Amino acid sequence: MRADIAFVDLRLRRRALLSYVLGMALYALIVVVLYPQFKDSTSLDQLTKNGSAFAALFGATGSLTSPSGWLDANIYENFLPLIMLLITVGYGASCIAGQDEDGTLSLAAILPISRAATALQKVGALTVQALLLAIMTMACVLVGQDFDLSFPFSHLAGLTVGVTLLGVDFGLCALAIGSITGSRGTALGLTAALAAASYLVSSLAPVIAWIRPARYLSLFYWSVGDQQLANGATAPSLLLLLAAGVVLSVIAIAGYQRLDLR
Amino acid sequence: MTVVVGAERLTKTFGTHRGIVDLDLSVAQGEIFGFLGPNGAGKSTTIRLLTGLSHPTSGVARVFGLDPIADGVAVHRRIGYLPGELALHSRLTGREHVDLAAKVRGLRARTFAGELVERFQVDLDRPARTLSKGNRQKIGILLAVMHRPELVILDEPTSGLDPLMQDEFERMLRELVSAGTTVFLSSHELDEVQRVATRVAIIKDGTLVVTDTVEGLRQRAPRTIEFSFPAIVDPKRFASIEGVQVVAINERRITLSLRGAVSPVLRVAAELDPLDMVARPADLDELFLSYYRDQPGAEHIDAR
Repeated sequence: MRADIAFVDLRLRRRALLSYVLGMALYALIVVVLYPQFKDSTSLDQLTKNGSAFAALFGATGSLTSPSGWLDANIYENFLPLIMLLITVGYGASCIAGQDEDGTLSLAAILPISRAATALQKVGALTVQALLLAIMTMACVLVGQDFDLSFPFSHLAGLTVGVTLLGVDFGLCALAIGSITGSRGTALGLTAALAAASYLVSSLAPVIAWIRPARYLSLFYWSVGDQQLANGATAPSLLLLLAAGVVLSVIAIAGYQRLDLR
Repeated sequence: MTVVVGAERLTKTFGTHRGIVDLDLSVAQGEIFGFLGPNGAGKSTTIRLLTGLSHPTSGVARVFGLDPIADGVAVHRRIGYLPGELALHSRLTGREHVDLAAKVRGLRARTFAGELVERFQVDLDRPARTLSKGNRQKIGILLAVMHRPELVILDEPTSGLDPLMQDEFERMLRELVSAGTTVFLSSHELDEVQRVATRVAIIKDGTLVVTDTVEGLRQRAPRTIEFSFPAIVDPKRFASIEGVQVVAINERRITLSLRGAVSPVLRVAAELDPLDMVARPADLDELFLSYYRDQPGAEHIDAR
């Protein structure tokens, strides 16, 4: 399958993507390098003691001074998903609805390539962007093994796959809403609201009992919210994230096939 | 006659807003078909349905006998399209736009594209956002015809082009047609269409009001007669004659638009002792303006 339209989209987002990825890499390196200074700081663990809802709101639960707790609280449960969603939801909302609003989508839509194939290329471009950020962050975190951050590589790899799928799924959600409505604003707004609710449910579930059962509905829980770095990501959780992506892709393709272009 | 573009009772509505209603069209292979209408008449809506960019509410559109939606890939392989409001990716250069289209179309030999770049002096190396409207339009024309499509659909193609480039564009259209290409040319500029088109359709308020050859329209067009009188005359004396419209009154000078026989006008004028009379040949502009202005819900005249 050709990927010309995906390459053009990636070319259009090159600068923003590189800025996000390099910024995230720099931040991850700083977090990693600072770990030896905090690993014996028992006062940090006081923050999350007794199930603090305030700390949980920022994605911090359990020990903050363990390698996995440090990385989860500073990177994987909050900042990385945030940057990931900025990239993927932004692209998902703009690649069909946004391009239709500014009139450039017809340049591709008039070419001899089916709408389904075009939409699949955009899913591909979305995945490449998510992978780039997740792998770059993983590479920087691996440097941490020289800074007392020890964890099994398989756990980090599983978490990297999970956070990639999290970004792809929410990006696809924006893409699907944009394909159905043709409105970038609606796609961005609805997806941002869904992502915020999903994050809150996952991060508060460990400390608020009545929210606990709802965590199974949160993509954050299945990707980064279940101590994947400490315990390893499970195959069912990754398969669930993958299945969500497949379903959202099918919806996005069907929506684009029915969309009236400007 | 091989029909390249066809539409039967093609209708598109946007919620409660009218788009086009029960549009019937037929464009034969090798002709330049002019599609005229004022802004908002439904020209671009019709084109989006013919190119498969938009779905009809009811009715049928056919291009090469194929459904532009269900057979989109096959139709798009054989057509070129220039949108009315061309939007290019602002950060990409013309060359990057051309490369994308050429790759997807599997266009290896770019001799014709190179020739067009020379003829239209297309600037391919600057980002689209830095180009003038005319230079962006040239890239749009290049994208529409560089693969020598069997059918070219052009929506307001000369918008932004200077007169020299408009001449070059018309020359190119004639060359394409002589090589067998069919052209569907939408415009609100009568001059542009009557210079190149063999047949014309006029759309108003989403409905076709006339389809005819340019020559047929010319024969049906109103003539203009101008009288000068020694005293001020009552224009109602002329306005009451069937087929006569008073176009202008300037003190003792009166300008009439006339369809049909001239004798009733001459009889009325003779009673008023005219000093001078000037009669101009059929005025196509006036005919088009009368369709635009005067015929709400007019019966469609098809003079194929």
